[in-house]
Amino acid sequence: MNKYIFADSQSCIGCRTCEVACVISHQEDRSLSALDPNSFAPRLQLIQNAQVTVPVMCRQCEDAPCARVCPNDAITREDDMIKVNQERCIGCKTCAIACPFGAMNVVTQNKTVGSGLFARDETRALALKCDLCTDHQEGPQCVKVCPTNALRVVTPAKVEEVSANRREAAAMAAMAVS
Amino acid sequence: MSNAITEIQDTKCLLVFGYNAADSHPVVARHINKARANGAKVIVVDPRKIESARVADQWLALKNGSNMAVVNALANVLITENLVDQNFINNYTEGFEEFKAVVEKYTPESVEKITGLKAEDVRMAARTYAAAPNAMILWGMGVTQYGQATDVVRGLAALALMTGNFGKRGAGCGPVRGQNNVQGTCDMGMLPDVYPGYQKVTDDAAREKFEKHWGVKLSPDEGYKITDLGHKVKDGSCRAYYIFGEDPAQTEADLAHLRKTLQAMELVIVQDIFMTQTAEMADVIFPATSWGEHEGVYSSADRGFQRFSKAVTPPPGVKTDWEIFCLMSQAMGYPMSYENTKEIWDEIRELCPLYAGATYEKMEGLKSVQWPCPTEDHPGTSFLFEGNTFSTPSGKGQFIAAEWRAPMELPDGDYPLVLSTVREVGHYSCRSMTGNCSALQTLADEPGYIQMHPSDCEKYGVKDQQLVWISSRRGKVISRISANERVNKDVVYMTYQWWIGACNELTIEHVDPVSATPEYKYCAVKVEGIEDQAWAENYVQTEYSNLKSKLRTAARG
Repeated sequence: MNKYIFADSQSCIGCRTCEVACVISHQEDRSLSALDPNSFAPRLQLIQNAQVTVPVMCRQCEDAPCARVCPNDAITREDDMIKVNQERCIGCKTCAIACPFGAMNVVTQNKTVGSGLFARDETRALALKCDLCTDHQEGPQCVKVCPTNALRVVTPAKVEEVSANRREAAAMAAMAVS
Repeated sequence: MSNAITEIQDTKCLLVFGYNAADSHPVVARHINKARANGAKVIVVDPRKIESARVADQWLALKNGSNMAVVNALANVLITENLVDQNFINNYTEGFEEFKAVVEKYTPESVEKITGLKAEDVRMAARTYAAAPNAMILWGMGVTQYGQATDVVRGLAALALMTGNFGKRGAGCGPVRGQNNVQGTCDMGMLPDVYPGYQKVTDDAAREKFEKHWGVKLSPDEGYKITDLGHKVKDGSCRAYYIFGEDPAQTEADLAHLRKTLQAMELVIVQDIFMTQTAEMADVIFPATSWGEHEGVYSSADRGFQRFSKAVTPPPGVKTDWEIFCLMSQAMGYPMSYENTKEIWDEIRELCPLYAGATYEKMEGLKSVQWPCPTEDHPGTSFLFEGNTFSTPSGKGQFIAAEWRAPMELPDGDYPLVLSTVREVGHYSCRSMTGNCSALQTLADEPGYIQMHPSDCEKYGVKDQQLVWISSRRGKVISRISANERVNKDVVYMTYQWWIGACNELTIEHVDPVSATPEYKYCAVKVEGIEDQAWAENYVQTEYSNLKSKLRTAARG
């Protein structure tokens, strides 16, 4: 079973520190001062409406719709998570439409390739979603910075532990009835 | 605060009144969440559906400007439904009968029109508060930034007194502060009527003690409040203004009036870390070190002294605040000099009985020492009034009641909306410290936002994210609409740190008679759409660039 990040709306205070930490974690230069407001594309996004405050991000679905619809096999399941291979992404946005959580964000990047006479501008597409900060030694940065501990990594073991506790409670409740 | 911030987690009921912890103090918001997780009932009294209101057991969405009526109605229910702690009232308080006589007529039913709250909801809140074995009240600027502020604070304290919610862990009153170390400035005598340690300048014995220690004659008269300065400069009794660590040209109410006051001064000295708009108007600027460039002691809202160390070496020619004060003093003929901050701190301890035992050593290792800490073997005080002895002349808690007063400037046909100024989580105070951070700019940038209910947007013909004009009888600024279902109708909200969308151009300098804090939370405004949005976007950018270049030029000297 895949691991994923869960956000608890009862604890979230809408500060968006997670969004900033996410962007910095995916920068080449991981310093705050390197952050460029023009290319700010966090992989989790805060939703704040009349009823709820909570960041929304990839659930690392077992039967991932994004992976199933990708025409170029850029999205695969590996290491208990859903990964996007940016080299294979062609920017068709089908994954963004397929995702039931709106957690896939396709962005474009302009890059100069080649040099001198042969330099040319090229537009590259990137399908961005939560990658659990696999490149980061300390793990998911949103989880680390959240001031109210509203974010946590849910592993299969954690899911089983919660279910076991619930079964225990259900059994006790059943005993109370009899 | 009567209790340590960490005690919030120990309480069984939290009454959060006019305080948005999520935007003002995320750390306190976390404690509120933990209190909830520990089973505390949470009641939020706020016109907006703030984050704490969203997760509260009960949210009382009162009308702006009705605080006193709500507090009196809560007191009325506690008394008439006999939910009070009569034993506590009899033994440890005074003035209850007089208090009772005033709140008698404030039944929740009779003030429904003023408060906008259903009587039954107010009754339920009072019952929840009284039922808790220990309850805490937290309030913020939603109480203190009104023309009737001190009265409401006394009213809230009365709720705690009549239910016996003082003198024990997790029970009391928490006025969280507006800015970091506001508590410290009060503790250190930056109020016009006290020396460090809350010793009155009018108290002969206290004054003689300071005179003897410092070897100078001291004035027995109280000083001026910042909101007095306009009149004082006009009648010639105040001619110089030394400002440090503050940006009144951004944060005072009615900025046009404040600028006149600054211009009328013969001498304005500003001591700051950046070229603020106040500094730009100064005759003399003293560049000072920032928090990372010096060491010292902060007081947090819960009376906790915390030491902090220097982390970065300041640029050459920049001095710490205390060194600048010593040099100023020497230049004026008084030989003030210290070797280091410890020497200053030890002098404070010597002169202030409340802080006598809070040594540097005790604060070692990021420890917080809460005053009163009278002796070196005293651990500090987590909650005040143990044994139900209060810091009044008689040692008893005082009930003081007041009638509700309406805010000063009510909306009318010309200015149909109420403006209330608020905070946002990404920017700190006047933003001189956070405005240059690219991450925070990304989350919110000039000209800032005006939060408006979607139905009001429709009514005034403006759309989300559009630029609009907002004007009051005192000024006019441009800002961006944030259509927001969490705010109430007929009221708009702006945060006060923006340079272009500066809401304090609009606010009114109507002050509380005791605290002299202006009514930042209530004035009448109108909102007008702008047809040519492209022009408006360009106007904001041009104005912002011009202002930045003016400050940059001033900084070059």
